[in-house]
Amino acid sequence: MPWEFRSDCPIYAQLIEKIEQKICSGVYPPGTKLPPVRDLAQEAAVNPNTMQRALARLEDVGLLYTHRTSGRFVTEDTDLIRQLKNRLVQEHIRDFLEKMRQLGFGREEILAAISRIMEESKDE
Amino acid sequence: MSNYILECKDLTKTFGRVKAIDNVTLSIPQGCIVGLLGPNASGKTTLIKLCNELLTPTSGEIYIAGLKPGVETKKLVSYLPERTYLNDWMKVADIINFFSDFYADFNKEKAYDMLKRLNLNPGDRLKTMSKGTKEKIQLILVMSREARLYLLDEPIGGVDPAARDYILQTILGNYDQSATIIISTHLISDIETILEHVIFLKEGRVVLYKTVDEIREESGKSVDSLFREVFKC
Amino acid sequence: MLGKLLKYEFKATARLFLPLYLALLAFALINRFISPFKVFEPSTALLDLQMLISLLSIFIYFALIVGVIAMTVIIMIRRFYTSLLGDEGYLMFTLPVKPWQHIVSKLITAMAWTTLSFLVTVGSIVIIAGEPGLAVQLKEFIVAFQEIFGVAGYYILPGYALAAMASNILMIYAAIALGHLFSKQKLIATFAMYCVLYIVSQLLIILIFVPFVLPFMRFLINPATPAPGQINSLLLLFLLPIVILGAGYFILTNMILKFKLNLE
Repeated sequence: MPWEFRSDCPIYAQLIEKIEQKICSGVYPPGTKLPPVRDLAQEAAVNPNTMQRALARLEDVGLLYTHRTSGRFVTEDTDLIRQLKNRLVQEHIRDFLEKMRQLGFGREEILAAISRIMEESKDE
Repeated sequence: MSNYILECKDLTKTFGRVKAIDNVTLSIPQGCIVGLLGPNASGKTTLIKLCNELLTPTSGEIYIAGLKPGVETKKLVSYLPERTYLNDWMKVADIINFFSDFYADFNKEKAYDMLKRLNLNPGDRLKTMSKGTKEKIQLILVMSREARLYLLDEPIGGVDPAARDYILQTILGNYDQSATIIISTHLISDIETILEHVIFLKEGRVVLYKTVDEIREESGKSVDSLFREVFKC
Repeated sequence: MLGKLLKYEFKATARLFLPLYLALLAFALINRFISPFKVFEPSTALLDLQMLISLLSIFIYFALIVGVIAMTVIIMIRRFYTSLLGDEGYLMFTLPVKPWQHIVSKLITAMAWTTLSFLVTVGSIVIIAGEPGLAVQLKEFIVAFQEIFGVAGYYILPGYALAAMASNILMIYAAIALGHLFSKQKLIATFAMYCVLYIVSQLLIILIFVPFVLPFMRFLINPATPAPGQINSLLLLFLLPIVILGAGYFILTNMILKFKLNLE
């Protein structure tokens, strides 16, 4: 199944997001070897050069590293992954809060809604 | 040797009084997938046929890997026309032999492998096949070559979405990153993510030549929406 | 590359010609055994069943002969027109092959089938005639041939026939290529171009012969039987314009395919 992309921002940026998500959620655990660029590109149905660019950015920030001959790996630096998680959590919650504010919810209402819905979904 | 796989200089092609290609100057580098986008009759097919020497330019020049079109460039270019050219009396195996006889870069194993994945029998006659199947076979033939430049004219034109996915996967799966693929189409949203560069062709002229991510970054829009804007009726 | 082109050209045409040849020879054999030509004797009733079968088999036989001749011409034209200038041209002209190689491969194949069609037709007649003294007659024919043409005739006459055949086929190709230059009504243009080429080539042949008219007339009036050498030099003289024209058609066709190709 090709990956889904939004139309309002560059594809390589969205690829970075998706791979970060996979590292974060453990689909790609620390130290695992990533599939070759070509296969990843085919899986996502994107241009290999675009995929290459996204992976290079992730390498720049240290989330991935290349072993000279054996390929590309997810970092084993769990601190770095924790930082990534923190960043993503912050981003998503900020987005969420922004939306709630636009809907006119206040601080207390948001917190109440969150605990209520979490309580409800526990039963499922 | 030139860094550009395809160069057009002041290229013009007229049919009667109509300018199908109007003074196009263009350089396409090696190792990328390029979308040649434009509405019907914008000159996409004409440009591709000029590169294949199936049409003779009215004026201007074309270079493929620095060479004028001829026997040497035909060895480098793998072309998928917008129509089927297969001989009905042949079997699939015959046409595969034909390609491997004439093209030194044809990879027979690859072709048979792709046939197998489509559940097609090499002994089947082309006569018995639907138009869609023939188009897939043509694509297999074209992508089984290890060419430097692939010119694909409307490869996803008249096929259903499932076949479209198959075709895009076939193109991506066989793409060697040192080669260049030029895909002409007007179905942009389906193909946008696999493109690196796009060329907008309007009434035979190049009106835009950028990378997909440049367009998205600068305009905050997908190539598809930008296209709809540029070619608004 | 020329060899590969020839291989595919023969493959593409053999499947059409061979069954036809086989049918023709088979009907020649059938006709021989039911001897339909002997049926037309006064004693036979008109509505006899045997008569009907005979008529039918004669009819099929002649239809097959006409078929072979027609097929030879039609396939010769179609193989050039559709496989180079039709949709198949998209395949043929993107092969790493030079235009002249395409022309030569089509020409050689067309010549081979024309020759074969001729031989098969003659062969079928021989089968029907079924003369017992065939070998003897053939020997007499060869002797007579040698008397008229001399030993050189073995080369000059077939050479002449081949050159004339090639030249005529190339004239058709040139007409098709010229017709291709028109953006509309290509078929009509092709036919018109054929007529033009035909008239031009006839005129050219006549012009070339003008300086030779006197000796030629003297040759015709001469009551003595001409020596083989004389006949052969006359044939060679005829050959000259044919070869020049054929070369001209070839060059013209090649130039058009090379510099003026426009597959629309």
